[in-house]
Amino acid sequence: MTTIEDRVEQGRRPSLGDGRRDGGERPGFGQRAWATVFAFPYLAHLVVLTAWPVLALAYFSLTDYDTLSSPRWVGLDNFRRLFGDEAFWRSLLNTAYFAVLFVPTQTILALLLAVALNQRLRWISWLRSAYFVPVVSSWVVVGYVADAVFNPQFGMANTVLGWLGLPPATWLQSPVLVIPTLALVAVWKGVGYMMVLFLAGLQNIPEELYEAAKIDGASAWQRFRRVTLPGISGTTFLVLVLSTITTLQAFEQVYVMTGPMRGQPAGQPNGASEMTVLFMYQQGFEFFNMGYASAVAWVLFALIFILTMVQLRLQKKWVHYA
Amino acid sequence: MRMQRFSPGRRLVALAGVAALAATMFGCGAGSAESDGRVTIRLGYYAEAGGPADKTMRSLADEFMKANSGIKLELESAPYTDFFKRLRTQLAGGRGPDVWLSDGVLVQEYAGRNSLRDLSDFVKTINTDDYYGVDLNRDSDGHVYGFPQGAQTPVLFYNKKMFADAGVAEPTGDWTYDDLTAAAKKLTRDTNGDGKPDVWGMRVYSPGFTESWWPMIKAFGGDIVADGGHKVVIDSPQSRAGLDWMLNAMYTEKAGPDVVTTKALGSPHTMFASNRVAMQFGIYARTIPANAAKIDLGVAPMPKGPAGRGHVAIANSWVVNKAANQRKAEAAWKWITYFASEKPQTNWAGIGEAIPINKKVAASDVFLKPGTPPANRQAFLDALAEADDLGLNPVWTEYTTAVANQIDRALAKEKPVGDALTDAQRDAQQIIDRFYANK
Repeated sequence: MTTIEDRVEQGRRPSLGDGRRDGGERPGFGQRAWATVFAFPYLAHLVVLTAWPVLALAYFSLTDYDTLSSPRWVGLDNFRRLFGDEAFWRSLLNTAYFAVLFVPTQTILALLLAVALNQRLRWISWLRSAYFVPVVSSWVVVGYVADAVFNPQFGMANTVLGWLGLPPATWLQSPVLVIPTLALVAVWKGVGYMMVLFLAGLQNIPEELYEAAKIDGASAWQRFRRVTLPGISGTTFLVLVLSTITTLQAFEQVYVMTGPMRGQPAGQPNGASEMTVLFMYQQGFEFFNMGYASAVAWVLFALIFILTMVQLRLQKKWVHYA
Repeated sequence: MRMQRFSPGRRLVALAGVAALAATMFGCGAGSAESDGRVTIRLGYYAEAGGPADKTMRSLADEFMKANSGIKLELESAPYTDFFKRLRTQLAGGRGPDVWLSDGVLVQEYAGRNSLRDLSDFVKTINTDDYYGVDLNRDSDGHVYGFPQGAQTPVLFYNKKMFADAGVAEPTGDWTYDDLTAAAKKLTRDTNGDGKPDVWGMRVYSPGFTESWWPMIKAFGGDIVADGGHKVVIDSPQSRAGLDWMLNAMYTEKAGPDVVTTKALGSPHTMFASNRVAMQFGIYARTIPANAAKIDLGVAPMPKGPAGRGHVAIANSWVVNKAANQRKAEAAWKWITYFASEKPQTNWAGIGEAIPINKKVAASDVFLKPGTPPANRQAFLDALAEADDLGLNPVWTEYTTAVANQIDRALAKEKPVGDALTDAQRDAQQIIDRFYANK
């Protein structure tokens, strides 16, 4: 990362201290002091709210720590216990299942919407806004709406199934359907944001490419396949990475939709929707196992890191940057 | 733009300013609490801001300070969930309240983690026979870490109008679980003609197990933990009989909504108040929503099972921070005994949230004949006198979650009852053993 001081040294920018532009001289004490003063809020934030918690988390993961009494060193016991904990593995599987359903569905749907709405029509901005509304709604509101839609007794979803001649389903109360239902609602809420990213990507593709393709006799599908998709591959990569991280960190939605509204702990029915972050929250904040929860956090971090690295490596094969 | 170069002195001033700002941001200032000679204690409690409980607590605190001029109370309150979240953070940072109101099931969780002062010596100075619930806070070694503030115990709630409309005789103290099933079956109706019941006789299942499977298992002779909360004993034929009764009532007799339907109907606490069920096991606090909905409310003793009525109780309690010094602890104890005395308990009973722990107040018309249903409030007192605790120990939340997960699966018919009980016993025992092994 280039800092102000680097830039001053390189002589690429006017210095903040004394206005000298001759890049050969090292900054004086005044410049350094003022750079420190201006950087202080960010540095303080970084140290106090990021670096220190990360270091503390590393330490706590190696201790038995209940937050009320002093941590007791247990070495790698938390990690050993974690790898043998059936509930942890189930939460990881639930998270993976959620990701497999959510990431491709949201990505494809967002792309299709963006292509459909990337036109100069009269009401197009209203339509784009309509798809974006769920993005700015809170999960509590969305949770109540979803509860009304998927309620097995009175919900609209079962009414629709009835019109189609299908039997009613129990949706969020079913151990089989709860994760697909959560994924469906998550797609509904998140697709507008990803659509906006795709729209930005689409609008960056030069019109001449489409004209050239048309002159060469390319069909609409061929133009989409050969011009649009490569043109937005960078955006697609961004959408995939963001969606994957979102699913691995899923908490708010699960917490709101699978528990408290029915006066029960989150993750219902009976742990079928317990994702890894919820598992971590319950261990740390409900069961006083903060050391164990810290170990979960590290494993989750490692997973997100590895997945992102894999995606970064794979993107070289299919992402085209202009 | 050319910027002015500052002198070393001005730089120093600027840096000092930043340091001062940082010091303010990170809260270096801790006020002195006892500068006027009075002992100041921070008192925490959970209540909705501005609600009846909050207002009553503040007025009682004012009266207490008038009567005890040497003690100043600083009140800290928040709604239940926020209060306990904040409390955990405060205690972790060494800045917890000196005395706070604890959910009864959490007293041993905090005591077991060395956060609470042992009140045994204070408790010896009073006659504990004058109060309900003192023994519910006694741990396996006989220490008392909390003193009751208000008590809760489930009894059988019933809707008198629904019973009259169906021509069913109201529950009595002689009812057995068979009588309960038979009456519930008669009260179950399909009101919209779709071939499925939409009003049921009894809410059999609830995620709040104090009003569901816990007393039922006990009534059939089973139990959840023994040996002072050290040993899980739920895997027994008696527990199985209790759960089988529930399965039979929900799925065979169809006298109560099954697990999925119960959850689909929203909060289980609103089902009785919305006339969805004619009966439920309910703690005293459930009289508030029932009366607010103008239900023609009656209460009766819990039905008799093969091994009794399975009474359980929770005593929400005042606890004292272990970090509080002797002077503060004595002031806190003064507040606790004040709150347990007749006038504050009478005021508190007026809110209708809890059974008074002062036996005189509980036996008075203030509690027994307040002018609002239910009439037979003596049922609560009879239950309280016989009630066991809810298997309290320092890992109560974690082990009961593990047990509830398995039992809920059995009651949702996702797993055979026998397997669920075996797994519940194994999972819960592991949690308890792990805690004590590390202590």
